[in-house]
Amino acid sequence: MSDQLDSLWADFATAHNEEDGYLLATTISPEPPKHDPARLYNWQRWTNAYSVQTDLRYKLQYNPVLKLDKQEASTWLEVFTAHYAFTGKLLAAEEAQNAGKSREADWSAVYEAWKEVLNALHRGYSRTDFAAWTIPCLYVVGKYLRVFAIKADANAASQRDSSVAFGELQEEEDPYGAASKNEKLEDAARQINRIFALCLSDRSETVLSRKWALYYTANLLFKTYFKLTSISLSKNILRSLAAAGTDIPPISQFPKAHQVTFKYYSGVLSFLEEDYAAAEGHLTEAYALCLSSAQRNIELVLMYLVPTMMLTRHRLPSRQMLSQSPVLEGLFLPITTAIRAADLHAFNAALEKEEEEFVKRRIYLTLERGRDIILRNLFRKVFLAGGFEAPKDGEPGPGARRTRIPVKEFAAALQMAGAEVGDGEGGVDVDEVECLIANSIYKNFMKGYIARDRGIVVLGKTNTFPGTGI
Amino acid sequence: MSGSTQNSAPLQKHKDANVSDSKDASQPQKPAAQLEEDDEFEDFPIEDWAKEEEVGAQANNTHLWEESWDDDDTSDDFSVQLKEELKKMESRK
Repeated sequence: MSDQLDSLWADFATAHNEEDGYLLATTISPEPPKHDPARLYNWQRWTNAYSVQTDLRYKLQYNPVLKLDKQEASTWLEVFTAHYAFTGKLLAAEEAQNAGKSREADWSAVYEAWKEVLNALHRGYSRTDFAAWTIPCLYVVGKYLRVFAIKADANAASQRDSSVAFGELQEEEDPYGAASKNEKLEDAARQINRIFALCLSDRSETVLSRKWALYYTANLLFKTYFKLTSISLSKNILRSLAAAGTDIPPISQFPKAHQVTFKYYSGVLSFLEEDYAAAEGHLTEAYALCLSSAQRNIELVLMYLVPTMMLTRHRLPSRQMLSQSPVLEGLFLPITTAIRAADLHAFNAALEKEEEEFVKRRIYLTLERGRDIILRNLFRKVFLAGGFEAPKDGEPGPGARRTRIPVKEFAAALQMAGAEVGDGEGGVDVDEVECLIANSIYKNFMKGYIARDRGIVVLGKTNTFPGTGI
Repeated sequence: MSGSTQNSAPLQKHKDANVSDSKDASQPQKPAAQLEEDDEFEDFPIEDWAKEEEVGAQANNTHLWEESWDDDDTSDDFSVQLKEELKKMESRK
């Protein structure tokens, strides 16, 4: 047989001789390398299901160029045997797809076949046949497990849809009710978790350890859980990593792609739990470390960092920062402009306009807190505008700031800012004003109390607006 | 099978390496489904990069956040208008 697979075996041998894990990973990748675009077809044609094991044995065990020990060669035999079967399924599915018969493309079979590749690799690592430098193979297998799972689920969904559309009876109803529409992705999550456990359990010394795959694998799990909207499962991953402590090398020693992705997800998870201080830490690091040309990822980090900074540091993104991204500008410019101008009316309008986007990205509630801050700043301006009392006898300089402020003054400020505190008849709804003031006090943005009978607010003399310096 | 003898990640060639050869955004063939969820982080085109390529090292990266709005400046438009309004109220009493 003429060996058009030379390139594959050459890469395989080179990878082993130079301990190049990334090159090794390309030999099992579902995507052919640029220098060998016909690889998968050649692989299929090189042998057949009956002879594949024998033919592989020659390449792996009886090959003078490769120096694999018997056990390792035997494991690679398993891997490539599984990979051969997988390639058959993949090519069949792709053909159906390209022929316009998407629904007939059996991505489910592709997924299951790829899972067998994963299983073979998993056995290799469990038996410690494979050295740690080979772990990019785990990256490839994990990454594509997700890809194929998503395709398989989408395919199943469109098949269900089409049969419903044509009014066909479902012959074999799932006896337990509708099968999950994320069946394969849920399975993928379990498989990737196996890889995660495999890496975590490696007791070899650090340099030789599978632990270097941990953050990549954790990131795959985060992406999977988010897509499954089982976000809380991500916490288990964080817990496992934290529990391992110094058994894992510090994250700074891992490739930056792994670090940035991990910090992004850690940040988002903290954000969703309203731990904004932690979110700020993670997201700021992700942002600073990120590849400067990775526009989309930078946008994603800022998507969460902007609302976070608003709350933690009372800082807004500059126009310059927003102008770098049309997406971010569209989302945040109106609302930040409103906050800067303390314009409640504009703020509410901005929030409403992009409500759907904000909710989808789960930042609506956080941004809404901006309203509290506008109100606080408004009240603070009233306090500052209130001037000073006369100094006490004998004391130099201005006295203390006036702390007894009529509710009417707050009302005036609110109206100027476009707050909806009218009583419908051209006057002011005092109850509404007092309610807003009381809320601010309750949330500890302002210290004081309302003396309702006298229509004044008595503010605290010190630390009147906590965290703002006055 | 000997391993690397250095202390850092044994993945020496990661600077230029790709996990897959082709573009991240594309799938093995035309995707049957939308792969990128709205908040899903994209794969980076490379595993690692030099400090110069970090966002934090870029020259135009200085003025990103405005100063805190917690300032005592009472000269902004709103405050000026507010003072006027309050004076008016005072005089109406």
